[in-house]
Order: sequence, then C-alpha cells, then structure tokens
Amino acid sequence: MALDQLDSVSASRDDPSNPSRRRLLAGLLTAYTASLIPWALAQPAPSAERGAFTALSAILVGRQALDAAQATRLYDALATVHPRFPADARALLALINERHIDPLQLQGVLDDEQSPLAPLPRSIMRAWTLGVVGSGADAHCVAYETALDAVMVADVLKPPTYAYGTYGSWSSKPV
Amino acid sequence: MSGQLSADIVVIGAGIVGALAAERLARQGASVLILEAGPRLERARIVVAFRNSAFKGNWMAPYPPSPWAPHPIYVPKDNGYLVQAGPYPYPAEYIRAVGGTTWHWAAQAWRLVPNDVRIKSLYGVGVDWPLSYEELDPWYQEAEEILGVAGADNTGSPRLKPFPMEPVAEPWAMRRFRERLAPAYPVVANTVARNSRSYGGRPACVGNNSCQPICPINAQYLGINAVEAAETAGAKVVANAVAHRIEHDAKGRIAAVHYYDPDKGTHRVTGKTFILAANGIESPKLLLLSASDKYPDGLANSSGMVGRHLMDHPSTSLTFYADEELWLGRGPQSPSSINTLRDGAFRSRHAAYRLDFTNISQVLNVTNDLIKEGVYGPEFEKQLRWRAAHQVSVKNVLEVLPNPDNRITLSTEKDALGIPKPEAHYAIDDYTRQGAEVSKADFARIAELMGGTGLRYSADGQFANNQHITGTMSMGNDPATSVVDAFGRSHDHENLFICGTGVMPTAATMNSTLTAIALALRTAEHIMPAKTAHGIAAPADGEASLA
Repeated sequence: MALDQLDSVSASRDDPSNPSRRRLLAGLLTAYTASLIPWALAQPAPSAERGAFTALSAILVGRQALDAAQATRLYDALATVHPRFPADARALLALINERHIDPLQLQGVLDDEQSPLAPLPRSIMRAWTLGVVGSGADAHCVAYETALDAVMVADVLKPPTYAYGTYGSWSSKPV
Repeated sequence: MSGQLSADIVVIGAGIVGALAAERLARQGASVLILEAGPRLERARIVVAFRNSAFKGNWMAPYPPSPWAPHPIYVPKDNGYLVQAGPYPYPAEYIRAVGGTTWHWAAQAWRLVPNDVRIKSLYGVGVDWPLSYEELDPWYQEAEEILGVAGADNTGSPRLKPFPMEPVAEPWAMRRFRERLAPAYPVVANTVARNSRSYGGRPACVGNNSCQPICPINAQYLGINAVEAAETAGAKVVANAVAHRIEHDAKGRIAAVHYYDPDKGTHRVTGKTFILAANGIESPKLLLLSASDKYPDGLANSSGMVGRHLMDHPSTSLTFYADEELWLGRGPQSPSSINTLRDGAFRSRHAAYRLDFTNISQVLNVTNDLIKEGVYGPEFEKQLRWRAAHQVSVKNVLEVLPNPDNRITLSTEKDALGIPKPEAHYAIDDYTRQGAEVSKADFARIAELMGGTGLRYSADGQFANNQHITGTMSMGNDPATSVVDAFGRSHDHENLFICGTGVMPTAATMNSTLTAIALALRTAEHIMPAKTAHGIAAPADGEASLA
C-alpha cells in the first residue's frame, strides 16, 4: 500500500473506543514527507491534530526521535496559546504533503506567499529548541534541560546553571 | 508615624559596597543598621526562576522588581522606571534587593591602572582623582582578600602583595585566543572574585556558566555574602525599607532617615553617622529628594553636582566564526581580556578601552538566529553545532569622560509609593565614539588572527551598556566641583558619607565594583579606625590563607 493511501485507512482508526488499533504517524504522511522523517513513521498519533504536530515537529527539527511526553506538553501549551494551532498544524502538514516543500525552503515559501501559516514553523521551533511557547509578555517556558538546543550539544556543553565538571575541567580540548 | 530605630551607623543600601562598609564598622564595635528598599532573595529561587524563564538572554528576568522598590526592566517591555530624557538612551540595569546588583555580576574585580587617576594631568581630559593609585593599593588588597580575588600580575595594575588566589583555570577557547593572538595582543586572565580553590568557606568554580544571572554554587563573591558577613558581625538589616528622605538638623548634620514600608507606613531611623550606598542612581535620587528650606537643591549638593557626571562603559562588538572549534560556554562566563589599550598617550585624543572576550555559551543566540533565518530540518542541528562551536565575540569596554550634562535628575513621574522616579540624561561624546572607531581595527585584526569568517560588527553608533553606573556624586578636593571628599565624606554634611561607584570621579576602563569597595573600606576606616587589620574570618575548611 502506498503511503498516500494510508490516510483514509488510518481515519478509521480514530475511534477512541478502539484503543487497540493504535494510530501511527505514517498514516498522516505522503511518500514525500515520510521520506523526510523515515524514523518517525512508527510514532503514535493519538489524533489527527496531535499526529500532524508530531510529524511537523519531526520535519522541522530534523531529529531522529522526539520524546512523546514532551511532544504532548508542547502541543498542549501551543494549543492553549494559539487557539487555531491544531487546525493550522494540520493545514501546514497538508501543504507540505501536497507540495513537497523542502524544510529548508519552507519559511521562505510561506513568507513569499504571505501565508497565514507563516508564523507556525517558528512557533514550533521555539517550543522544541528553546522550550518557549508564546511571545512577548505571554511567553512562557515549558522546557529547559530537555529543550533540543540543549540536547543537541549535550555531548559538549551543559545548560547554563548546571555544573560543567570539576574545577578546571573546561581547560581541555572540547571534543 | 510608627516605629523608631537607631544606631551608631545607618547604612542606606544593602549592596556589596554598603554591606562591606557596614561589616567593617560592626567589627569595630559600632551598632550598625542597614536599610534596604528591596526584599530578601534566595539563591535557589533565583536559579529556578532563571531555568523557568522564557527570556534567558535577559539577566534581569529572574529578578522581578517589588512594587514598592521598583528597578528598571526592559524585557519583554520597558517598565518605565528609569525615565529616559535622552538624547542617547541609558538603559541601566540594577537590582533593588538585599545583596544588590552583584547578585548577577560577572565578578570581574579589576583594579584601575595607575594613570587612570591622573588623566587630567597626563592627558588633559577628565579630572584627576583626589588620591593616588598608591593610596588605593592597600584598600584594593583588603577588598581582594575579603572577596577572594583570583588574578595574575600581568594586567597592568601593580600591587604590593600577591593576589589571594591563582587565576581561574583558563577555558580552552581562551587558551586558543591567547596562543593565536600572541604576540600582537597579549590575552590575560581576568581578575575576578571567583574561587579558583575553596576560599572564605565557599567552593571553587565548577563552570556553571551562569555567573550572570546567578552563580548557583556560591563560587563567586556576591553582595549577599557581604550582607551575611555584616550580620555575623552584628549589623542589623531591615529589608523592604524604602528610604525617601534624609533629614538634617539646624547645623546641617544628618539627623535621621525616613523610610516607607511596603504599605507606605512611615518610619524614622536616627543615627550618629550615615552612609549612603544605594548605587549611582538611587543615591543621588535620594539626595535630591531630601531637599529642604535650608538645602533647596537637595542634600550634599551645594556644588550642584549631585546626579551629574553620570558615566558607564559603552561597548561595541564584533561577532564572528573562528576557524576552529572553540565551544564557548565551558567554564565561567568572563575569563580573559586584552588590557594593553587601557592606557597610553592616545587618551588625550580618544577613549581608552579594555577588550573583553566572552565565554558565554553561544547556544541560545545561535538557536535564535537559526529560527530567525528559517533553517529547518536536519540542517538545523548541523548548523547549531557548527555555529555553537565556532561563534565567538569580542567587545570593547570604553571609557566615558565626566560630563556634567550626563546626569540623573528627579522625574515628574512617580512610582507606586509616590516617590519621583529617576530620570537619565545621557549622551555619548566624540571622545568615546572615536575610541570605538579605533577599536574596529583591533576587532578586524583579532578576527584575522582567528581565521574569522562571517564577521558581524555591532551597528555603527549603537552601544551596548555594561551597567557600571559611575559618577553622579564624584569625590574631589574642591567643594565647589565635587560632592564628597577623598574619604567619601559629604562636603556639606559632616556625618554623611557616600560609598559606591557613584563617588568615582572617572570611569576608566574596568568594571567598577572593586574600586568602589576599596574606597568604601577606606571610608569605613576613616569613620572608625580598625583595631586590627581586616582579614576574612578563617573558614571552617581552614583553606583560606591571605598569602
């Protein structure tokens, strides 16, 4: 079965009365988007909206794996701050599915087209990489040590306020 | 009116300077009362506030102001406390709390260089200080031994006795700067109040890289350490006591300080000697607020100089990518500098400066940049790691000359207690701008020697502020042109002393705290000579020695 066809199949798995039929992220993707995040296909997608968020997250941050609990927290926080977030996340994923947009080109495409979805990638990236949701006076922190900017350099650096190591350990060559 | 307090010595301001003066006097047997406008803070809560902050690049975020003792906040928006009269913005930051602004300093504890106190005589600019570097030396030494200062002898500031501690271990990145910039530029270890071994009952640094906004482990000396030492010596601290008027008697001696509690209940504190140590903005504000029929222009202000000669250290900078992996963020934030440009004949023409290398982790800035640029997908992580490993920056720390038009005045706007807010009048003159221009050649040469690419100079004419609030109550021998004498005593009020960076007649090129402490210890000695030489109490671990 082609990945494109999975969408209609997976829709029938939405029935919450049938938890044994777990919905997977693969069901929300086209062959193109699946090729961007092959490692993420087996991630759970409890609903179309949450699944779209997980898929978008994986595409945007380009990571091999995303923590499911953190995904839930970030989704909830984003959905609280932006009421349209669940629908927008589905719409943006659909756009990438349909038009096969390269993640590196995505922001430029949205900006050029003055898409109402243009702020969305940055919101998702800020949430995952900085652990910050919302902006201005409404900004709040939902992750720090597990924010991806810390995780991505964890083999070399500790997040500020955490001890690097014993006194003088920073004098050696980093890697 | 409710409540009456009294002490031999009343100190206004529980920051590092006031608290160390208080501690020294308490140790001589004086009764000492310290009034602090802000609340007590707890280190652990500050650490948590930082970790939970959505604005980790803003070091004031973990220090929200109290309603009764506001301080300036600019992120996410200006709280309007420090009113800006222009023409150039002066967005000073400071903390009104027990312990004061050094809660989030980088612990750079520099001495002046000797010629800094003679720039009028030597270079025809600014003013000379009413005391020599040699007179300051023993007070620097005393301050360094209290704080636990780590440093080396190659920074341009001579000394008669050794530093209490060896320099803090050099981060790899700074080693590479030192090796690659030699011999064009000698890169030296910063002189810092940061432990390179256990000292004063506090541990050695373990590289949390959050010196600003908070050292989680007490490895760098903070104002709160000074406050606790003062309390151990017998001083009493009254927090949330917002001094709003200093009262004088018929002879012009200071009789009392009036303060509000958070509910605007009024209190009067009497004393024999008063020390004003509320920083270079709040101290002149209080003097101006205390105008009376006898002193219509405010206390200590017969010269008209209170609030004038506001100085700081503006900075411009260059950010670039070095051609090797340096990974800033390992070890303390402020490890190294180039000090050779702090003095020279050029000072007759343009500002001197120190060149300062940051070791602050670049991860936050790089992440923000990548999101701004829309770099998504696997390229994000690849770029994040490359940039975090290679991105470095150097900034100048420029001298500003004393100019009476740069000043703090009382605003017509008032805070929640009805007290006028401070208003900043500030401009950056050609002398300082020319120094910035000259330093661009140093920036370029440094980048070249580091194989730099992607050079990003700070915008022309744009200066970052370093929060080294200086001047505003300058010391001098002439009562017509200065506010206090060489011992910090007000020319106008026999029993009023002023301590803090505000009494410094010039700003020079170093972070100003250590000099303010040295001057304050000298003031304390002048008020009440020490029976014994001042040294830190032997800590429980027995490892402190004064070399």
